Amino acid sequence: MIVCIAVVGHQNNPLYLQSFTEADDALKLHHIVHCSLDVIDERVNNPKKTGSTLNETYLGLLYPTENYKVYGYLTNTKVKFILVTTHLDVRDADVRNFFRRFHSAYVDAVSNPFHVPGKKITSQTFAERVSTIVKSFGLSSAV
Amino acid sequence: MEEYPEELRTPPVSLVSLVGCPELHSTISTYLHSEQPPINTLALPDFSKISVLSRSKKETLDSGQPGGILKRDWLLKHRTRSPAVVAALFGSDDVSGDPAQWLQVCTELENLKAVVRGRNIKLTVVVVQSFDKDEVSEDRMIALRKRAEIDSKYLLTFVQKSSSDLKHSLNRLGSIVAELANTYYRDEGRRVKTCIEKKSFSSVDLNIRYCFKVAVYAEFRRDWGEALRFYEDAYRALREIIGTSTRLPAIQRLVEIKSVAEQLHFKASTILLHGGKIIEAIAWFRQHHAAYKKLIGAPEVIFLHWEWMSRQFLVFAELLETSSAVIPSNTSLPLVTKDNKPLTESEFNPAYYYQLAAHYLREKKCCLELALSASEAVAEIESSADSVIPSVYVGQFARLLEQGDALVMQNLTDAEYVLYALAEGKRFQDSFEIIALLKKSFESYSNLKAQRMASYCSCQMAREYFSVGKFDNAKELFDGVASLYRKEGWTTLLWDVLGYLRECSKRLGSVKDFIEYSLEMAALPISSGDEVQSPIHKGEYGPAGCASLPQRERIYSEVFGIMKGESGLTSNEGNVTLNVTPERPIRLEIDLVSPLRVAFLASVAFHDQVAKPGASIFFTLSLISQLPQPVEIDQLEVKFNQSECNFTIASAQKAPISATSIGKTGARVVTAPVLTVVTNKWLRLTYDVTSELSGKLECKSVIARLGPLFTICCQAESPASMNDLPLWKFEDHVETFPTRDPALAFSGQKFIQVDEPDPQVDLVLGASGPALVGERFMLPVTIVSKGHEIHSGELKINLVDARRGAALGSPREMEPISTDSLHVELLGVSRPDGDDEPQTGQDNIWKIQHSFGLLSVPFVNLGGSWSCKLEIKWHRPKPVMLYVSLGYLPTSNGSTIQKVHAHKSLQIEGKTAIMIGHRFMLPFRRNPLLLSKIKVAPNSNQSTTLALNETSILIVSAKNCTEVPLRLVSMSIEMDENDIGKSCTVRQRDESQKDHALLVPGEEFRKVFSVIPKIHSPNLAMGTVCFTWKRDSGLDKQSDSNITEAGIITRHKLPDVNVEMAPLVVSLECPPHTILGIPFTCYVKIQNQTEFLQEVKYLIADSQSFLLSGSHNDMVSVLPKSEHILGYKLVPLASGSQQLPRITVTAVRYSAELSLPQATSTVFVFPSEPHFKMGNLKEKVTEIVTTGA
Repeated sequence: MIVCIAVVGHQNNPLYLQSFTEADDALKLHHIVHCSLDVIDERVNNPKKTGSTLNETYLGLLYPTENYKVYGYLTNTKVKFILVTTHLDVRDADVRNFFRRFHSAYVDAVSNPFHVPGKKITSQTFAERVSTIVKSFGLSSAV
Repeated sequence: MEEYPEELRTPPVSLVSLVGCPELHSTISTYLHSEQPPINTLALPDFSKISVLSRSKKETLDSGQPGGILKRDWLLKHRTRSPAVVAALFGSDDVSGDPAQWLQVCTELENLKAVVRGRNIKLTVVVVQSFDKDEVSEDRMIALRKRAEIDSKYLLTFVQKSSSDLKHSLNRLGSIVAELANTYYRDEGRRVKTCIEKKSFSSVDLNIRYCFKVAVYAEFRRDWGEALRFYEDAYRALREIIGTSTRLPAIQRLVEIKSVAEQLHFKASTILLHGGKIIEAIAWFRQHHAAYKKLIGAPEVIFLHWEWMSRQFLVFAELLETSSAVIPSNTSLPLVTKDNKPLTESEFNPAYYYQLAAHYLREKKCCLELALSASEAVAEIESSADSVIPSVYVGQFARLLEQGDALVMQNLTDAEYVLYALAEGKRFQDSFEIIALLKKSFESYSNLKAQRMASYCSCQMAREYFSVGKFDNAKELFDGVASLYRKEGWTTLLWDVLGYLRECSKRLGSVKDFIEYSLEMAALPISSGDEVQSPIHKGEYGPAGCASLPQRERIYSEVFGIMKGESGLTSNEGNVTLNVTPERPIRLEIDLVSPLRVAFLASVAFHDQVAKPGASIFFTLSLISQLPQPVEIDQLEVKFNQSECNFTIASAQKAPISATSIGKTGARVVTAPVLTVVTNKWLRLTYDVTSELSGKLECKSVIARLGPLFTICCQAESPASMNDLPLWKFEDHVETFPTRDPALAFSGQKFIQVDEPDPQVDLVLGASGPALVGERFMLPVTIVSKGHEIHSGELKINLVDARRGAALGSPREMEPISTDSLHVELLGVSRPDGDDEPQTGQDNIWKIQHSFGLLSVPFVNLGGSWSCKLEIKWHRPKPVMLYVSLGYLPTSNGSTIQKVHAHKSLQIEGKTAIMIGHRFMLPFRRNPLLLSKIKVAPNSNQSTTLALNETSILIVSAKNCTEVPLRLVSMSIEMDENDIGKSCTVRQRDESQKDHALLVPGEEFRKVFSVIPKIHSPNLAMGTVCFTWKRDSGLDKQSDSNITEAGIITRHKLPDVNVEMAPLVVSLECPPHTILGIPFTCYVKIQNQTEFLQEVKYLIADSQSFLLSGSHNDMVSVLPKSEHILGYKLVPLASGSQQLPRITVTAVRYSAELSLPQATSTVFVFPSEPHFKMGNLKEKVTEIVTTGA
């Protein structure tokens, strides 16, 4: 299950952070997302070590915490997507697929002429779309 | 890791026992210990002590159902008490001695054998050779071997005669002992292994124990592969008995299993990491973690589980840190374990494990606190810990009871055990342990530049400090974390940290900090969030609770209550009371980088960029606040860098308060109808100020007074260079301009330039055309007062290169400041009264430097004037900018009034006045043979060559290049002092030339000199032409230009000439004119100046104009130092200027041709005898003719 999804801007500032848990652990999730930025920095600054190609936007598993796994995705405009999940066995393809769909939702959201780049995303439509994507995570593995 | 016993932490070391010959024990022990791998020794001085090696009774009795899985001291036993090999040392004297001695040896050997055989310990016999005795006889040796029942190679003689013998013996002993030890451990391992294979064990517990033993024996042999395999087997077997075994009460059972699992896991991880198999080790750890994570156990001792988990992480972190294994850099990420699960970089980092260890320890702390609070029988807990000790089995505890003399172990019930565990748990200071773990993690992350992870660690550290009441430490750490969250705009995290900071400063009693943190929290961009807070996660949030708008408003009203002094805040923890008293008013400073800018920001924009002194200057003062509720300001003080401009804005509603406090300062007070700053809405106020002083007028700060005891001092900001509000810049909220005029919002500045008053003085520079190089150029400067009197005036003069705009003089000449190095120089200033000396006794400034001058101007009345003349000298032709500026005070009194300045500049060209040229000429009709001219190299730049002791002609010309007439004073050639008269003679040819000639622009003046070189030299200095001139200013002004009277000397250095001796000189003697038809004689003189005989060919060409007599061509020899004269009779056949027949002389020796120049070999033929009126001239002519004849 996805517990949290975040969009982080150029200055490593949160643009969108939504948790999908019943429990009131927003603070913990904020910490997890914030710490995972270090891993993204490390991956981006040492591309050789990670071995991924330059055009690869999907960063893979960033780090495991005691209960969660954190995945990352870096758009070509250097906006970061961070996914926190409780699934212990997540298929890579599922995560990739999720990020692809999330990216297109993000692109639609920031294409809104009333959105100022670099500011938080407050669009209601975006939030609804994201929750749909989150709900369908893992179910659409057959697709 | 330190809490593990040493035998568990380090790989096992073989143990060998030495018996007999105690004097050798230390030598052998030291040697064996330094072997690779080392061997420990158990030294028994004599054979009576061998009973320690025998199996104790307890051990032999041990059978049937085991009491536990692993024995606590089994490892230690094999390292310190149970040797693999016994080396029996016998002196050679005893062996080869009398029968009694031999019998003694045999008895001892028998005893030893009996002990050894029971435990399969290997035996080796060493015969120690004495220093002086011979070897033991062969028979005795065989007998000894047979007695000992050992292979012959295990019977060795120990020779110590010399050091090499000793070394050899030690080597042999070492290798034999190592071999035997290996055999022993292999045999033992094999024995236990057969038990496993035959499944001849009564319980699974024994299976685990056997696997463990095989693994340890393998470790003794350094067979890591087998060791690992059996540790893994044991671990797996242990995993199976969880839940099935019922030997012990449930809680203790789980504790034992976990303890054993911990040991097995530790051994396996160590072997993996030391083998460099880091990926396998991590995978193994993951598996271990996953297997035991859920085995929480009974609810009352959950804390034991968390403690155990924490220890797993801590130990693995330490192992990872100390192991030499490095992350395989060549393999590309994502790294994958064998079961295809990806690994991340952080899992290779010990910091990750330290952090989790801390996390679990924190969990333990919480659970322990819960458990302690649940159990009420505190006294019972205290007492229960007494006399409980670890039992003989790993992970078991027992109560030690005294029964008479004997001590008896009694098993505990679970309830007793729980009490014991609680008592033990209470003893530890978990918080400091957690902080230490987090600190390690923090340092490691900091080294990796993972600042966010490090911040998270330090945040947790700070929370721990907070929980134990160390607010100073907590505050310091939280401050560091807060700055990162502020920078990156993580509002929720910042809120939490600020909540802690607020609480810390409250507990520390720091009102100012408390107010600052509160204001920052109240101004954070948090608009959503619900007030309700689920009680389960009470621990998650700090003292500030969940971030929400109502919470902000609550904090806001709380802090404003304190600031207005309406309510104090008593810290619920104790005696600290926060309130603001009149003795300690609060003043907050908000600068450009303060996080409190969100709470209060002041922007000041002047409407114009420059202003006149005394005029009204308008500006807009704008205030904004992101505080959740409107802020009412009592009064605003606006501070400028010119303190006369400061003024106060008072709120109309609160006039009485402001009136009292302002009365004493006497500054300007204005009232504004409303002074309330509404959330995210600019409060714009436009006022004017007047400045009398010129220069920069800058608004420094705006001080807002809220209530009698509280002020906020905001540094003023320019709208043009104002940074976005921190945190709020990421918010999607309405942004407005600080000024009504949007253009001003982009360009407005908080400072304005106030001009200085216009000067009412004329500064006139009287220029008179270009200056000439070398002369002292006079430039009159006139100051005319037109509306201001001039008090303490100062005239500054600056000469600047017009092209470069920099100082005068080329850069390489800048260093030595001499007169010559400057191209243009300010020589002085002459006053109109002719007194150009500084008047002493007055404090008049009078400074003249090369390109700068400063002089004081005396008082000039209204309408009066003053003038002086600048004297400037050009050394090089160069255009120069002259800047003259006058600073003065328009009134005599008061230093407060600023100086008024008038400026003037003028470009002046410097021009070369005179161009001097020169030319050398040969003497008339005389041609010396100069050898250097013949052998002229095509590309050599040869200087002029002159013949030694021959007269040459030098013509010097001087041209007036200016546009003004110049008057020549004199022209001469000056020799260098030491050459005068010696090297050559230069004489002025015609004395009659009149000096003081006037040279109109463009005119050239020539003067002829004759030169006779006296010294044979390749480069003879010719001296310098000195041309003295002056500007022609007309006769009537002669007296006026008294300075230039002496004239200006222009020098022209003549180039060096090459002087050489001419071997031959050819000269022609011929009358200058003759008469048609009348014959005349012409002589060609060939002068040999050398010491040799010179052969000379000559050739004369026919000419149509003359009839010629004499040989046409011939060769003659000219004697040394003599002269040959060729005489020709010529009759002119045509009148007019005629070319004489051309004579070419060839010197055979030099194969050089000599001929006279065409121009000189002409003669004028009169058609008939001319009749000259001037008698004396005629005389002269005839005289020449006669001499020629």
